[in-house]
Amino acid sequence: MGEFARLNFYCDEHRCINCDGCSVACAEAHELPEYISRRKVITMNEGIENMEYSLSIACMHCTDAPCEQVCPVDCFYIREDGIVLHDKDKCIGCAYCLYACPFGAPQFPLDGAFGTKGVMDKCTMCAGGPEETNSHAERELYGQNRISEGKVPVCAAMCSTKALLVGDSAEISDIYRERILSKGHGVKTQPYGWDVAYGKKM
Amino acid sequence: MKKRYLALIVLLSTFLFGSKADSSIWGTDLLTHILEYDKEGSLHMGYWFTLIQSTYVKPMLLFVLIVIPLAFIVHYLLIGPKRFSHEGRSIMMFPLFKRINHGIAAISFIIIVPTGIIMIFGSTFGGGAFVRFCKEAHAISAPLFFLSVIPMLLTWFSRMLLSPKDDLRWLKIVGGYLSKEKKPVPAGMFNMGQKIYFWIVTLGGLVMIATSVALYFVDFEIIRPVLEYYSLSQIDFLRISALTHNIIGIVIVAMFMVHIYMSVFAIEGAYKSMVDGKMHEEEVKILHSTYYKELQEKGEV
Amino acid sequence: MTNSLGDIQNAKAIIIFGANPAVNHPVGFQHFLKAQERNNAQMIVVDPVFTKTAAKADIYVRIRPGTDIAFMYGMLHLIFKNGWEDEDFINDRVYAMDDIKAEAEKWTPEKVSDVTGVPADKLIQVTKLYANAGVGTLIWAMGLTQHSIGSSNTRLAPILQLALGNMGKEGGGTNILRGHDNVQGATDMGCLSDTLPGYYGLSEGSWKYFASSWGVDFEWLQGRFKSPEWMGKKGFTLARWWAGAINGKDGNDQIHNAGTGLKNLFVMGNGITSIAQQAKVKEGLDSLDMLVLCDPFVNEAAILTDKQDDVFILPAATQFETSGTVVATNRSVQWRTKVVDPLYESKTDQWIMFELAKRLGFYDEFTAGMKIKENKKDFTWPEDATDEIARIIKTIGLTGWTAKRVKSHTENWHMFDQISGRGYGKMKGEYYGLPWPCWTEKHSGSPVLYNTNRSVAEGGMGFRNRFGLEHDGTNLLAEDGSAPKNSAIEGGYPEINKDNIEKVLGITLTADEKAKIGKNWKVDKSNIIAEKCMEKGLAPYGNAKARAKVWTFPDQIPMHREPLHSPRADLVKEFPSYEDKSNHFRVDTKYVSKQTEQEWVKDFPINLVTGRLVNMNGAGMENRASKYLAALTPEMFCSINPDLAGRHGIRDGSMMWIHSPEGTKIKVKAKYSHSVTEDRIFIPFHFAGHFQGEDRTSNFPAGTAPYASGESANTVTNYGYDIVTQIPETKGGLCRIEYAKEEA
Repeated sequence: MGEFARLNFYCDEHRCINCDGCSVACAEAHELPEYISRRKVITMNEGIENMEYSLSIACMHCTDAPCEQVCPVDCFYIREDGIVLHDKDKCIGCAYCLYACPFGAPQFPLDGAFGTKGVMDKCTMCAGGPEETNSHAERELYGQNRISEGKVPVCAAMCSTKALLVGDSAEISDIYRERILSKGHGVKTQPYGWDVAYGKKM
Repeated sequence: MKKRYLALIVLLSTFLFGSKADSSIWGTDLLTHILEYDKEGSLHMGYWFTLIQSTYVKPMLLFVLIVIPLAFIVHYLLIGPKRFSHEGRSIMMFPLFKRINHGIAAISFIIIVPTGIIMIFGSTFGGGAFVRFCKEAHAISAPLFFLSVIPMLLTWFSRMLLSPKDDLRWLKIVGGYLSKEKKPVPAGMFNMGQKIYFWIVTLGGLVMIATSVALYFVDFEIIRPVLEYYSLSQIDFLRISALTHNIIGIVIVAMFMVHIYMSVFAIEGAYKSMVDGKMHEEEVKILHSTYYKELQEKGEV
Repeated sequence: MTNSLGDIQNAKAIIIFGANPAVNHPVGFQHFLKAQERNNAQMIVVDPVFTKTAAKADIYVRIRPGTDIAFMYGMLHLIFKNGWEDEDFINDRVYAMDDIKAEAEKWTPEKVSDVTGVPADKLIQVTKLYANAGVGTLIWAMGLTQHSIGSSNTRLAPILQLALGNMGKEGGGTNILRGHDNVQGATDMGCLSDTLPGYYGLSEGSWKYFASSWGVDFEWLQGRFKSPEWMGKKGFTLARWWAGAINGKDGNDQIHNAGTGLKNLFVMGNGITSIAQQAKVKEGLDSLDMLVLCDPFVNEAAILTDKQDDVFILPAATQFETSGTVVATNRSVQWRTKVVDPLYESKTDQWIMFELAKRLGFYDEFTAGMKIKENKKDFTWPEDATDEIARIIKTIGLTGWTAKRVKSHTENWHMFDQISGRGYGKMKGEYYGLPWPCWTEKHSGSPVLYNTNRSVAEGGMGFRNRFGLEHDGTNLLAEDGSAPKNSAIEGGYPEINKDNIEKVLGITLTADEKAKIGKNWKVDKSNIIAEKCMEKGLAPYGNAKARAKVWTFPDQIPMHREPLHSPRADLVKEFPSYEDKSNHFRVDTKYVSKQTEQEWVKDFPINLVTGRLVNMNGAGMENRASKYLAALTPEMFCSINPDLAGRHGIRDGSMMWIHSPEGTKIKVKAKYSHSVTEDRIFIPFHFAGHFQGEDRTSNFPAGTAPYASGESANTVTNYGYDIVTQIPETKGGLCRIEYAKEEA
């Protein structure tokens, strides 16, 4: 990874087959409750020829993350490599991050007092949280910290068809371009959602 | 054992069929909303919410919290409070029911307004358990406020309707509060200032309640037909609710501070009316001259 | 699979009949996608339902269930008409293609359209593309095999590839996607009722070979059967064992089982709830004297049966709790190493079988084979078992699969090429997993079957010589010029045996070799035949023509026959099913009498299509006991076209009944979907635990019920079994649907 590397997610809709390997891997690795889906796979136009496609969605770890901008308690922090994380101890569960997020990444378990909204939970790109790295507390609150061990986030690692990629944005763009060009689709300028998450220019 | 598994399966089904696939926010519509975010033809609510919430809300509230008290300090020093004599008759203005009503509203506001301010400045207070507690207190007081605002709206409705004769003139002289004189001021039982405050707090309050319910429960389907009729997605509805809630909230904070100043400082001893419901004759004659004439005609003074 | 999953990336066209790799092989499917991306391969999907695979297809063909033969003949019709066939290949390496050509002539695009429901121009488009693509690979799975004409389907598909010259080529071949992990290994080891391990038949010669290879007395082995003749008879199948238990009562099919019914059933694995006609399966279970179920999870057969006594549940360990070999769909072997010791009280499968053998008194004979190679007193599991397999199984050339070699492949799996399977560095000269046939302990493995562009030592070979040297005056051996590279013989040659080896190979054996050599290449314990063949660049099993005509089968060339429950009464008259077959794997099985019992389509107008879900496997028990997998599909459902549902008053998410011609019914949730048309519904077959509206999960022992249970699709799959293999006709049935009123 280069010095100025920013980690991005990319899901290739030509390859995603809605196998849910990513979402199940995420749920298993971080031992999530069943009603939280940090990563979800959505199929559009199911059953309609030439129109059906699937995409795997989670937090995109945006540049200039809107969630970080609107949080009233400033519980977000953005790492140098672009991963957007938050502090569950500071979070008050107000859901402003959900309103700001274009991707619906923040989730709220109903485990607060009297079944109210608890603190926000979202994809951490397997990079844990502010607690001490690989401590029990970090694992309980945020799940595994694979990035600290140099491992790929578990969703992309498990993707059956390598539709879901994560890595340095330049490398990912190259892979994407290569795939599209070799099929003769013509050169698309950018994958879905990247103009919102990572700025309009690529 | 069997019941437990049945319960788990039922629970799983409702959560999953209920919250995943059918969820208005995280269900199949999610992709559509991602693709249309900030695109031409959309409402751009995500963009506006992010912009306004991150850049303008805190400064606006800060402005209100600083400028309004400052203005009143200046007013108090330059003009000072209105003092009315305690001789003469005491007129019953607010019967017991209305005092209790107002009292409950007051208590709810005393919890709601500061906790709301704390939430907006959450980072200053370090977030975490304290601010979370304020959020829950804010939410618990909201039904209390709702219970008090409905009777107030109903019982004071007719008296709070604008009467063009008095209210415009009241506005022109700012209710006489810009001078130290004690000249009769054109106002009915309630003056224009009180009417403005009333309508902002009741109608604005109802909007606050409605938006707060949306913000509290976030993922619900009960109003889906209405939203569909207006082609409004749930997430845009939440964004609009959040913005509305915060902006009207700031307005209410401002009005609340005015209300406190007027009822506690600007008119000496006025807060006592909250308890005994009475106003002295001179005060009524000056500040609510039209109402005084009405009482005279009725022969009550 | 004649080629491999990675090899699919070499294809220029992919045609898929009755398979859904995006769902049943999601990881392997990346090779299909890469073929599309890198090789510009065009993918054609032929399926009754618009599956997830079809969503990625370049051309989707919606076909009526059970009409694949008509479609393929339609393709062949156009291929021969336009001269797109590979004439040289057919002349040199195929027998009786003319008979196919004659049949194909009848199948004009219009006729095909009438039978299959596929528009004529689409058939033409698909055929033109596929035939002219350069090299095309043909994929199939259960959608092609699970029909009463399944054995004809699976013959016509290779014939199509033979006509185009796509066999024995990289990027070509017939590539069957086998369903479960190690199902290939299971059939290789003879978990079938009509073969011994390695697909050896049940003749006395085979039995004698195994007896001596195992080090047991042949007479003793023969004495285990009721009488010597029963040693050679095919047994019951998984599809119809229950007929044996019911023993022909109350009008059920009669059995031929030496005058007795099936009394005891010992089950290892999840198969019982995965076969058609679950109501009959239940009857069978109820009729047993004793039922034993070995599985890591409680087999749902245990709760399906009403049997109260003599039902035993043995906790078996999973694959993670033991070591051994597994064989993938591309015939390659891999070593699996134990990760954790068996949990709780579970025991490994081998422990259970050894203990059973001990108590039944034949443990010594059972384990003798593992000690022979090194003449040991005691065996090491699983290495000695692996070596025993390598030592004995010659028919599919497992000689090279010694434990040592297999382990080294798995330990060095990063040293092999993803597409060709070729090894590098210290694995040079070997293909990953030594795809069989792996004729000797030095052989590289054979990644692409029937490939004459390679020498035999490198995995090349012609077609097997199995049916003699000539038939009806035509030479059955391959013609000159179609031998593998570096072959001592330029053309065809017979399978090698003791008598012809010197003549065919042009060598002289020493006296010692003559003494040791086996009767033929299949029973040659010395492996001299294989070694000599390798030296001469010959395949021990000969080099013959592939036969398009099988003169011993009910249909010598594949013929279209309507499913037993067909929605087209007119076509039933034109293409009736077979004559009823008696003593078909010991059970009298109906064909045409069932088909014409009544006009089924009148009362059951909807096609019933069954299939897979990506998060579930087989009968589904293992996955429904897994929290997150069950959470993805917590309830049994039926994918139904909104218009069809609307006509029956069935709303999205409401309950509905599906009735079958057998008189059974299931209650499932309706799920609107555009992937099915109005004349068919789709149900997944991974659920069990409910039976005809009744929730039987309360029968589970405490704490063993899975998170998700539901109706089994197999409660409503129809009567129907393949004429040769007896596989159930689960992919071509009829049903009737009805709105289910909610109980208060």
